[in-house]
Amino acid sequence: MEIASGLLHGFAVALQPYNVLWCFIGCLLGTIVGIMPGLGPAATIALLLPLTFKMDPAGGIIMLAGIYYGAKYGGSTTSILLNIPGESSSVVTCLDGYQMARKGRAGAALGIAAIASFVAGTVGVIGLTLIAPPVAVFALSFSSPEYFALMCLGLALVVLLSGTSLTKGLLSLLFGLWVASIGTDLFTAQARFIFGQAPLLGGVDFMVVAIGVFAIGEVLSSIEAGDDAEVLPVPRGIRNLLPNMEELKACRFAFLNGSITGFLIGCLPGGGATISSFIAYGIEKAASKHPEKFGTGVPEGVAAPEGANNADTGGALVPLLTLGIPSGGSTAIMLSALVLWGVKPGPLMMQDSPDVFWGLVASMYIGNVVLLILNLPLVPLFAQILRLPVFILFPVIFGISIVGAYGASGRIFDLGLLVGFGLLGYAMGKLKYPTAPLILGFVLGNSMERALRQSLMMSQNDLMVLVQRPISACMLGIAVLILLIPLFGSFNKARVRAITENG
Amino acid sequence: MTKRRLLLAAALLVAAAVPVSAQQFKPTRTIEFVVHGGPGSGNDVFARTLNTIIDQEKLSPVRMQVVNKPGGGSTTAAAYVVSKKGDPHVIACFTNIWLIDPLLQQAANNRPQDMSPIARLVVEPALAVVRADSPFKTLGDFIDAAKQKPGALKMSGGSIGSRENVVRQLLMKTTGARWAFISFPSGGERIAALLGGHVDMMIVDPSEAGEQVRAGKLRPIAQVSDRRLPGFPDVPTIREAGFEITNVPQMRGVIGAPNMPAAAIEFYEDMFLKVTKTPAWQKFIHDSELDGEFVKAAEFKAFLGTFEGTLREILKEAGAKVVR
Repeated sequence: MEIASGLLHGFAVALQPYNVLWCFIGCLLGTIVGIMPGLGPAATIALLLPLTFKMDPAGGIIMLAGIYYGAKYGGSTTSILLNIPGESSSVVTCLDGYQMARKGRAGAALGIAAIASFVAGTVGVIGLTLIAPPVAVFALSFSSPEYFALMCLGLALVVLLSGTSLTKGLLSLLFGLWVASIGTDLFTAQARFIFGQAPLLGGVDFMVVAIGVFAIGEVLSSIEAGDDAEVLPVPRGIRNLLPNMEELKACRFAFLNGSITGFLIGCLPGGGATISSFIAYGIEKAASKHPEKFGTGVPEGVAAPEGANNADTGGALVPLLTLGIPSGGSTAIMLSALVLWGVKPGPLMMQDSPDVFWGLVASMYIGNVVLLILNLPLVPLFAQILRLPVFILFPVIFGISIVGAYGASGRIFDLGLLVGFGLLGYAMGKLKYPTAPLILGFVLGNSMERALRQSLMMSQNDLMVLVQRPISACMLGIAVLILLIPLFGSFNKARVRAITENG
Repeated sequence: MTKRRLLLAAALLVAAAVPVSAQQFKPTRTIEFVVHGGPGSGNDVFARTLNTIIDQEKLSPVRMQVVNKPGGGSTTAAAYVVSKKGDPHVIACFTNIWLIDPLLQQAANNRPQDMSPIARLVVEPALAVVRADSPFKTLGDFIDAAKQKPGALKMSGGSIGSRENVVRQLLMKTTGARWAFISFPSGGERIAALLGGHVDMMIVDPSEAGEQVRAGKLRPIAQVSDRRLPGFPDVPTIREAGFEITNVPQMRGVIGAPNMPAAAIEFYEDMFLKVTKTPAWQKFIHDSELDGEFVKAAEFKAFLGTFEGTLREILKEAGAKVVR
């Protein structure tokens, strides 16, 4: 009852003409920022912050939040069309999204990404509306051992991602883990693997690795193919540019999976959209009837991660609004914005500033509808990009990649790294090493090492802490199961083959 | 007659103008305000707040622009500032990490003392807090418990060079107690670890913990500050609680490119002094619960020298590998 009246009050705030306008502006800016690699929502919110000081807090936070969740919609665009992840949370979308584009289903992939974003984004807000306080308390029971187990689960799923050769997949993964360890160690403040280069003290930027390995590597291979490189097919007619019923049907479970996985991992202060998108993809593949088709352009491989990274925004606002704890860059700036306006996010915010709290929650329902309306018509438009001839398209991809890598840090040094990772991506493609495990190893490497060392510091170096805590023990158990299933599978196959050969 | 008078007037004007232009400095192009964090980081927001005030109060004849140089803690930003040696249009937002990075990193070879310190603007106080249901009512309770079970109690915080670890080292040294320090990269994770009951204590900014205290989730047991904060009049400082340790100020200030002309240092010192007199600044200081005592260039520079020595000793004791 309290929630219903709160939400009603929220809509009264959010539907005021000015606030609807701020919501629209935020969503529009967010979509643009999401499409542009290298320009992230966190940087945009920070740059716009001084402009909002004169605004009413409700209107201001409605706009800033619009940028935050709007960026998640736009992030898939370049992933699908050009194999360039627009945001780190859209890296997984490249795997199947770009393959769909190569099969002439770019429009369908973009459409599915928009629909999955809408469904999961809305589910995330419903979660935020209904169960924020209890979920926030549950999220606090997660600490380093649980995060470590979560990362193990993610890594177990990587084995499923690794394609035909397990050895090559693991090598790629180990390389990713190693790249993640470059930089200053959090615990001892010692530099690791920096080779005397001061710019490496802060570690390698994720976008540089992802853009290099995926986009540059892909373009280099295509250039090598020369005249044989086919221009990507783009079907004519609006109907062929949108997802068909069959594709939408295939995504039913993915919408649900993305929504729930994204929301729950989003609620964890140490979670994040990138991890949730990987895990949703892994779950989707593990539960699929045809896991071998993942990576060749299946629609659910787009729907699951795109849904997860949108539901994540609703989740990430749970600890921010109920506990005053930000879980990432964007929410941290939104926290400082709220403080500057004199609103104090925390356990008392719902009572002290109902206008801001419920106004923001209600505006997110409106914002998700706005984003769907804004993004669907853009789909046929963006799909046309692929009609560009190769001699224009490739330079464009190089240009966007360079801007994306430079924009993330503003250092020329990173462009050198981009070239290095581009060549690596090319070589890996040539030698048939899968690149996805490298990226996942890189994403999880840092947090995984940190979580393990924190756990050991907490338990005075007793490894049992990982299995004595119920949540962590459960997740580790699932991870072991996931690792064992394919082993049984291949054992089974080998046995079957042996039987038939002997028979 | 008229001609002579004109000449005289001109001569007088020249005479008056020459010493003025030699002594006074006025920036002639956009001032670069270098920040070592990315957009949205704590020091970025701080720098942009300063910039907005300077802009609104028209305290600078030219525009000032925040330039983000993130990477390797402060090392990328420090290297950039040093590369602008002698340039009177490059200043940077200084925090403690500018002192600590060169102590711990071989690759970070630009010390702030070799640049041109301009002013210290704020000192950030901190609170030692425990959960509201914790058995520890005072800092003394916590330390007694830590003595009984050495290494069993835990505290969350940032890296080994962070202020919270430095305070812990000092407290452990004076009392002989021992407890674990667990590093988390973000403030959110540190406070979540305490609220979730995974650690026993933390040292945190009052602005971060204030709401949790007001909601009855956390209890402050001591203040890491020289004097009590207006928002927490009943909480003793660490010294008042009976533990004599060196004060470890977490500072923010302004520092210029190396070999900046004295006149330029004076100009910026004066400009930032004017900033601290504005109502907008006073409100910011009050809302963020900061200590806004202004320290001038000469004194700031001297302090950096002695404070570096203190930090070096503390970091060595903390087990960090000090390279300089």
